[in-house]
Amino acid sequence: MADASAAAALLKREFPEAIVGTASIHGTPWLRVRTNQVPLVVHYLHTKPDLRGSLSLLWAVDHRPREARYEVLYLFALAERRDWLLLSTDLSDEARLFKSITPHIHAAQWYEREIRDMFGLIPQGHPDLRRLIRHEHWPKGTHPLKKDFPWDRTLGRQQGDYRFRHIEGEGVFEVPVGPIHAGIIEPGHFRFSVAGEPIMQLEVRHFWKHRGIEKLFEQQRLADAVPLAERVSGDTTIGHSLAYCQAVETLLRVDVPRRARYLRSLFLELERLHNHLGDVGAICNDTAYALAHAHCGRMKERIMQLNDRVTGSRFLRDTMTVGGVTRDITAQQRGEIVDVLDQIEKDFSELESIIFANASLTDRLETTGVLTERIAWDHGVIGVVGRASGIDQDVRRDRPFAAYDEIRPKVALYRYGDVRARLRVRMDEIHDSIRLIREIRLKLPDGPTAGEPGHEPRPGDWALSAVEGWRGEILYFIMAGEDGRIHRCKVRDPSFVNWPAIQWAVVGNIIPDFPLINKSFNLSYAGNDL
Amino acid sequence: MFRILKKSIKTGVVTGQHPAAQPAEGSTPEAREKARPFRRSLAVREVDTGSCNACEMEMNALANPIYDVERFGVHIAASPRHADALVVTGPVTFNMERALHDVYKQTPDPKIVIALGDCAVNCGVFKGSYGVTGPVDRHVPVDLRIPGCPPRPAEILKALEELRASRQSTEK
Repeated sequence: MADASAAAALLKREFPEAIVGTASIHGTPWLRVRTNQVPLVVHYLHTKPDLRGSLSLLWAVDHRPREARYEVLYLFALAERRDWLLLSTDLSDEARLFKSITPHIHAAQWYEREIRDMFGLIPQGHPDLRRLIRHEHWPKGTHPLKKDFPWDRTLGRQQGDYRFRHIEGEGVFEVPVGPIHAGIIEPGHFRFSVAGEPIMQLEVRHFWKHRGIEKLFEQQRLADAVPLAERVSGDTTIGHSLAYCQAVETLLRVDVPRRARYLRSLFLELERLHNHLGDVGAICNDTAYALAHAHCGRMKERIMQLNDRVTGSRFLRDTMTVGGVTRDITAQQRGEIVDVLDQIEKDFSELESIIFANASLTDRLETTGVLTERIAWDHGVIGVVGRASGIDQDVRRDRPFAAYDEIRPKVALYRYGDVRARLRVRMDEIHDSIRLIREIRLKLPDGPTAGEPGHEPRPGDWALSAVEGWRGEILYFIMAGEDGRIHRCKVRDPSFVNWPAIQWAVVGNIIPDFPLINKSFNLSYAGNDL
Repeated sequence: MFRILKKSIKTGVVTGQHPAAQPAEGSTPEAREKARPFRRSLAVREVDTGSCNACEMEMNALANPIYDVERFGVHIAASPRHADALVVTGPVTFNMERALHDVYKQTPDPKIVIALGDCAVNCGVFKGSYGVTGPVDRHVPVDLRIPGCPPRPAEILKALEELRASRQSTEK
């Protein structure tokens, strides 16, 4: 089964009392559920063997000033085909309580804490209601995504403390790391409980970089917010701007020309390439194998210089626009791209055989930081990390966007879930990206590079979009407001889902291996903290 | 072993294989005076106060074999206590404000502060948000600004070189 509309019909049969309305928006079945029945319905959806719904996104919308209500929405991906099914529930302005689904679905944990911080809606029955985004010095009652909260408010400070999960016992120590780290990386705090060298527990405390991006989106018009989307996570410029553009295009009913869709795939694969090359080098570097790091750094730099020559930006910025792309790529440039990539593929293949001939290196990689398939599934882990743990998911194949309905990626899948598996996924994807770019060069159709909007969205219309960025599935939910403005924009970087999982992958490993495990996940802090 | 040697020989020296940077807007004479003690060696601590990570990637690129910033005596310190210069990126978020003040206090004098990227210079696209309290010079005194979103590694190199160049003829 797992056809989403059949699943929706099944839920309606099973829970006639709980479901108060059904609809279908842009092909996604949508069920409205009574607030106190939500845990019952999602539990069924999550555990029934032929549905196996995994939570993709959980977010809230403040409908004021149009309507005095909040809405909490749950997006599920069903079984193998990963069709979407949307559940939602309405909350009145006064009630402000909804039933937590975290006791049934681990993956909901951070989402519900986020909703509590940003909207002041309280998930009843949530096992951990500590603040997530609002650190202890934020004043009480500040919930930035409520519509009556001014976007440019200056926040005061209050005294407060944050209680870390605490393990007590003889010889148990806590090791705090961060927010400022020794390398050139983003800020985040890690609190280890150790007995000797092995890690008993890790608590990740993030959101140091919270810049209020979702609120900033609400100050912008639909057509103008691409530069902001590019800066959600700078290393995923194309992933985020493409996901944003696709959602807006659904709202504006823009038909994106085929040539533009091919060029979007080209840019997305170039972005995947330079990031994966950097990661392969960085993983080797964290085992002190500087040689591979130097070679990968060189290859990554070549691709970034290529990006710069072709688009005028090393990060491929300003290439996406609502309706298509801003830059065309000439036949000569396409030739140059493929020439450089041919050389890099040969170069990289030689490096791969050097890397795997090194026993002391592979010894560090194997069985380190194992994330089992079961834990990965429970937490809804996606992207490179998921595929290294046997989660067979890739938006490019499951829900083709850009040109991926015509050029099919090969999905790299490994089962061991250790650092080596995550390295292998990246290596395979480097080869596959180069193959895809060659295919794009051959098949690139002629035509315009941008389409025109065909529709003015009404306030309250919304759209969802998904893009397989180099880290994994990026989701955008955009709801239109008055006069082409954005009413709500929910951004979900894959890092937000995968960060909690790292807490499980490190248990039992030694602290010196943590940087290696962390690098093999290589999650974004900026995209997570928003 | 032979494979590694063969690879190294085949690759050759790649340092310096990058396009030249556009001339940057110069550093002030005060900043150059402050940078005097660091002309031969500069230990840099990078502090991210809410950037999108692009500036960090370009800082990391400085250490790759193509830019190899160490040949100019610039190296990355692991702790602010070992640093001569703080390179601050990002618009200074409400949550990172305190960490920035701490790290500034921990850095021994004499020190210079470099604001790297548009966000650090003027908050960039995040200007005005409730979550942002920057730019950097609202919190700590800034000696050198390197604009760009993000500035290219060659531009960062150029700005550092400019700052530390000896200009005996003009100064005396």
